[in-house]
Amino acid sequence: MISAIYNFALTTGANRVIRGARIEHVCGDPTLSPEKDYAFGMRIVTTALQTLTIAVPGPTLFDPMAPEAAHAS
Amino acid sequence: MRLEMGTFPVTDIAFGRTTRYDAGRLTVDPDAVLAAVRQDPRIASAALEIAKPGESVRIWPVRDVIEPRVKVEGPGVCYPGICGREIATVGDGRTHRLAGMGVVEVSSVNWHDAGGDFVETYLDMSGHYGEMYPYQKLLNLCLVVEPDSTLNEEVKNYAVHKAALTVADQLGEAVRALTPPERESFELTPVDPKLPKVVYIWCVHSPQAMSGSPSAFCTATYGLTQLTPPWYLHPNEILDGALTGPYRTAFAMSWTVANNPLFLDLYRRHGRDWNFLGVISLRTEWTTQTEKQLMANQTAKLAKQLGAQGAVVTWDAGGNEFIEVVRSIQACERLGIKTVFLTSEDDATDGAPTMLEPLPEADAIVSTSFFKNVTLAVPEAPAVARVIGLPTRKILRGSTIGLHAGADGTIPTKGPLPPPWRYDDHYGFGSLSCIE
Repeated sequence: MISAIYNFALTTGANRVIRGARIEHVCGDPTLSPEKDYAFGMRIVTTALQTLTIAVPGPTLFDPMAPEAAHAS
Repeated sequence: MRLEMGTFPVTDIAFGRTTRYDAGRLTVDPDAVLAAVRQDPRIASAALEIAKPGESVRIWPVRDVIEPRVKVEGPGVCYPGICGREIATVGDGRTHRLAGMGVVEVSSVNWHDAGGDFVETYLDMSGHYGEMYPYQKLLNLCLVVEPDSTLNEEVKNYAVHKAALTVADQLGEAVRALTPPERESFELTPVDPKLPKVVYIWCVHSPQAMSGSPSAFCTATYGLTQLTPPWYLHPNEILDGALTGPYRTAFAMSWTVANNPLFLDLYRRHGRDWNFLGVISLRTEWTTQTEKQLMANQTAKLAKQLGAQGAVVTWDAGGNEFIEVVRSIQACERLGIKTVFLTSEDDATDGAPTMLEPLPEADAIVSTSFFKNVTLAVPEAPAVARVIGLPTRKILRGSTIGLHAGADGTIPTKGPLPPPWRYDDHYGFGSLSCIE
């Protein structure tokens, strides 16, 4: 689950929670240029897809902006 | 800060040749009142109609209900800041109010284009649906107002809300120089130091995240509607309208905020049952986890700095805004401040919790029942004899109350109609509560 309010996603029991940007633009940032906005969104979505290959013990947060994005934080 | 509130009960309202108040009877000169409204070139049309309790009348749609209040002594104006009004700090001196009546703002102007925030609240002056709200018991003077259609949404909102405040001002002027039949003094006097210190954390929605609007509509603090850090307000500022509606739920009107029974009870029992410290007003609908937690932390810090031992918490919205509200409760409890939370509940379909994020620290909750009319099984509102406002409703892209359009994309507002989807009694006006 990609969510800007990630703590709430964790407490409701989503197993893989990916930190999104903001409620009004979860997978993007309108303050960036179109190219950088695209790359930012791709990084979040790619991280989300990668987490599907990772076994998790329970609700786990992944931060796409962390250096090792596809590992549990 | 000391405020004397002079109350003029309105027991009847009628149109006449001059606007004046005489022993409960309010006479309104519609020509003079509307001339004041039409001084604003942004207004294209304006008309006044009266709606009384028990009549087969529907007011469609209701954007706001305003209680006329006028500043008689002391700085500033009532309902300060909003729609360009002056922003001097209010709460001192003397204020006169017209009780038992409302100025109802009726217009096709929508809040904004984003988020499906259509104005679909309506008021029936008779019948079951209307009985659920305090406004059905009021004598209502309805301003049906439309702005210049070429203006943008923000300016349209500004123009029609300003027009309704202008009507309220005109009525308030009628009692400015009169001696009030009822008087009450409000002051945070020094009290027995042994009394528990209590603060009211009053959470109000901000439209900024959805609309980008900084000022023109929605619940405003001295006219500001944007996302701002928590405010400390002296309760007298509230009495003079420093916090003012409306929002899209029927229980978030200017009238409701000004007559909030929880707030008034907290204030009136100051010195007897507790030491009321005042109001912390928290803006809600921050849009990241970090911002929500920051506001919760700062709200609790402010309460602690004020010396609070207890806090009463309310909110006026729904959805993700619950996070900063409930986390403020958690943050207060962690600082040793006991909290009580007054809220409506979400539906419990499939065993879902009726609170979005049920935190263990929020362990003293007063329920004002479910916020969805469908959960409450509120019946369809029957057809009415007269509609004040728009004769038809155009269905654009969905409807928050489940309306279905005919072939031409419109429905007659005379009814029958489903009730608006939200009930949520934010401040304890009604007597509905949870199902045990």
